[in-house]
Amino acid sequence: MHSKASLTLALGIMAVSAYAIVAAWAWPLKAALFPLAIAGPLFCLAAAEALWGIFGAAPAGEVRDFRLSTELPREEARRRTLVALAWILGFFAAIVLLGFPYAVPLLVFLYVKLQGRESWPLSIVLTLAVWAVFYGLFDRLLHLPFAAGWLFAFLR
Amino acid sequence: MIDAFYEGLLLVLQWKTLAFMSLGIVLGFWVGLLPGLGGATTLALMLPFIYTMQPVQAFAFLLGMHAVVATTGDITSVLFGVPGEGTSAATILDGHAMAKKGEAGRALGAALTSSLVGAIVGAFALALAVPVVRPVVLTFGSPELFMLAIVGLAFIASLSSQGGRGMLRGFLAGGLGLLCATVGQDPQAGVARFTFDALYLWQGLELVPVLVGIFAIPEIVGLVVRRTSIAGAVPAGKLNQGAWEGVKDTFRHFWLTIRCSLIGTFIGIMPGMGGAIAQWMAYGHATQSARNAEERKGFGAGDVRGVLGPGAANNSKEGGALIPTVAFGVPGSSAMAILLGGFFLLGLVPGPDMLTTHLSVTFSMVWTIVLANIITVLVCFAFLNKLAKLTAVRGALLIPVILVLVFIGSYTATNHYGDILVMLLFGGIGYLMVLGGWPRAPFVLGLVLGKIAENYLYISIARYEAAWLTRPVVLVLMALTLGVVLYPLYQSRRAGVKKAAHA
Repeated sequence: MHSKASLTLALGIMAVSAYAIVAAWAWPLKAALFPLAIAGPLFCLAAAEALWGIFGAAPAGEVRDFRLSTELPREEARRRTLVALAWILGFFAAIVLLGFPYAVPLLVFLYVKLQGRESWPLSIVLTLAVWAVFYGLFDRLLHLPFAAGWLFAFLR
Repeated sequence: MIDAFYEGLLLVLQWKTLAFMSLGIVLGFWVGLLPGLGGATTLALMLPFIYTMQPVQAFAFLLGMHAVVATTGDITSVLFGVPGEGTSAATILDGHAMAKKGEAGRALGAALTSSLVGAIVGAFALALAVPVVRPVVLTFGSPELFMLAIVGLAFIASLSSQGGRGMLRGFLAGGLGLLCATVGQDPQAGVARFTFDALYLWQGLELVPVLVGIFAIPEIVGLVVRRTSIAGAVPAGKLNQGAWEGVKDTFRHFWLTIRCSLIGTFIGIMPGMGGAIAQWMAYGHATQSARNAEERKGFGAGDVRGVLGPGAANNSKEGGALIPTVAFGVPGSSAMAILLGGFFLLGLVPGPDMLTTHLSVTFSMVWTIVLANIITVLVCFAFLNKLAKLTAVRGALLIPVILVLVFIGSYTATNHYGDILVMLLFGGIGYLMVLGGWPRAPFVLGLVLGKIAENYLYISIARYEAAWLTRPVVLVLMALTLGVVLYPLYQSRRAGVKKAAHA
C-alpha cells in the first residue's frame, strides 16, 4: 500500500512535469523560464523515485508527518476508507445539487444517524445546532454568497 | 525615545482605545478559529470602519484583530488538524499528533505561550530595529531574496524526512508545490499557464482550499477509518491536565522559542515573504534542534518543539512585518499592505515621520501587539482544558462538523465551486502523500514561495543576467543551501557507520 501510493505519486509527478515541459515550450521565454526550470529537474527526480520504488533498492526514512493507523486489517481499512470518500464526495454532490443551506443539515443528520448510529434526539439537536451556527454566522452575519443548488436552478 | 515608548503605552491604555482593541481581539479570535476566513480579508473588511477613529484607536482595533488571528488559528490546527489560517498549518504536524496522543492541552498550552513569547519578541524587535534594520533590508535585492526562498525550501525538504530517499521525496514535494504555484496568468508576459481554459484558474490556485484539502482530508479519512475520537483510547482525565505542562515546555525550550521568534521576525521584515513561510522555516529549525536521529524521529509524531517553533514564529512575524511598513512604507505581507491603506485613510504617511513626529503612535502599535496577545492568551487559558476535551468527543459527532467547516472554509476563498474541487483534488494528493510516507510541508512551502521566487528570479536575470550568481550574499546563501542539503546526509551516514561498528 505504502509503495503503491509512492509509485502513483512519482508517476503522477512525472506525467505532470512532462506535460508542463511540453506546454511551456510554446510560451515566450518570460513565461516559460520558471516552469521549465522546475519541471525539468522535477521529472528527473520523480523518475529516480519511481525506479527506486520499482527496484526497491533502499527503504525510505521515517517521515516527519501524520501517519495513518495501521492497527486494522488491510481489507477493513480499505472498506472504511471507501466509506469516508463516499461521504466526502456525497457531501460535495449535495452542495452542488441543493446548495449549502440544505446540504449542511442534510449531511450532519444523515452522518450522525446512519454512520454514527446515534439516537434520534442527539442527531436532531446536533443538526439544529450546526445549522443555527451556519445560518447565523455565515449567512446572516457574514453574508457569504452561497450559490443556489443546481436542482433548484433547474426547477425554476 | 523612552518618553515616546511610555506615551505609546498610555495611549493604548485609554479606555476608548482599549475598547476598540478588545473589539478587534474578539473579531480576530473568531476569524482565527474559522478555517478559510483569513486575517488579511478581515482587515480589508474592517478598513472602512476606521474613518472616524483616532490613529491610535484605529491601529489598536486593526492590529489587535490581526495580532490574535495567528494565535487562535493554532487551536483548530492542534485540535482537528484543520488549519484555522494559512499561517498555522505547520502546527498541525506535531500539535495534532500530540492531540491524538491525548496531549491536546499540553500542545495548546505550548502553542499559546510560544505565541505570546513570539509576539513580545516581534513587538520589541519593531521597537528596537528600525534604525538598525534599514541597511540590512537595503542590501537584499531580488537575487538575495530569490536565494532566501531557495534556502527555505532546501531547509524544509531536507529536514522533513530522513535519509537520501526521504530527502528526494522532500524535494519532489517542494518541486510539485513550486510547479503548482505557476498555475494562472504569469506576471511577466500575461500568458495563462496550465489554466485549461478555466477562468477560475487565471488567478492561480487559492492557498486556503489547497491547505485545507492537503491537511484536513487525510485527517478526516483517518478518523473515519479509526472510528474513535481524535484522542482515541486515551483516558478522559488525562486530557485536561496538560495546559500548564505546555507553558513549562516553552520555558524548558526557551532559547528555541526565542530563536524561532527571531526567524519569524526576520522573515516578517523581508518584503513579500510572509507568515506562511516563517512558520515552516521555524519548524525546520525546530527539527534541527534534535540532538540525534532517534530524537528527530519524534518530529511529526508529537514533539512539543514542533509546536513551539511555528507558534513563536507565527506571531513574531507581525512585529517584523511592521518594520518595513512603518519605516519605509514597504509592506512585509498582504495584511501589512492593507494596513498601509489604513495609514493613508488616517492621513499618516509611513516613513521618517513615523519615527519622529508620530513616534508615540508607532510605539502604541508595539504595545497593541503585546497587550492583544497577553489578553488573548489569558482568555484562551481560561477555556483551554475545556477545548482540549473536544478531542474526546466521538468521531461520529465530530466528523460532520469538521466536514462542514472544511467545505465552507474552502468555498469562502473565492465563493466558487472551483475552490471545493481544488480542495478535493489536493485532499486526494495529501492522502496519497500520507499513505506513501511523503512529507507535506515542503509542498506547502513550495506553493507559497513559488510566485515570489519566480518574480525575484525573473527580475534578477533581467537586471543582472548571469552576474546575479556572483553577488556575495547570493554566494553565502548558496553555500548555506548546500550545507542544509548535505549535512543531514552526512549525519545519517555517520550514524549508519556507528551502528555498523557497534553491531
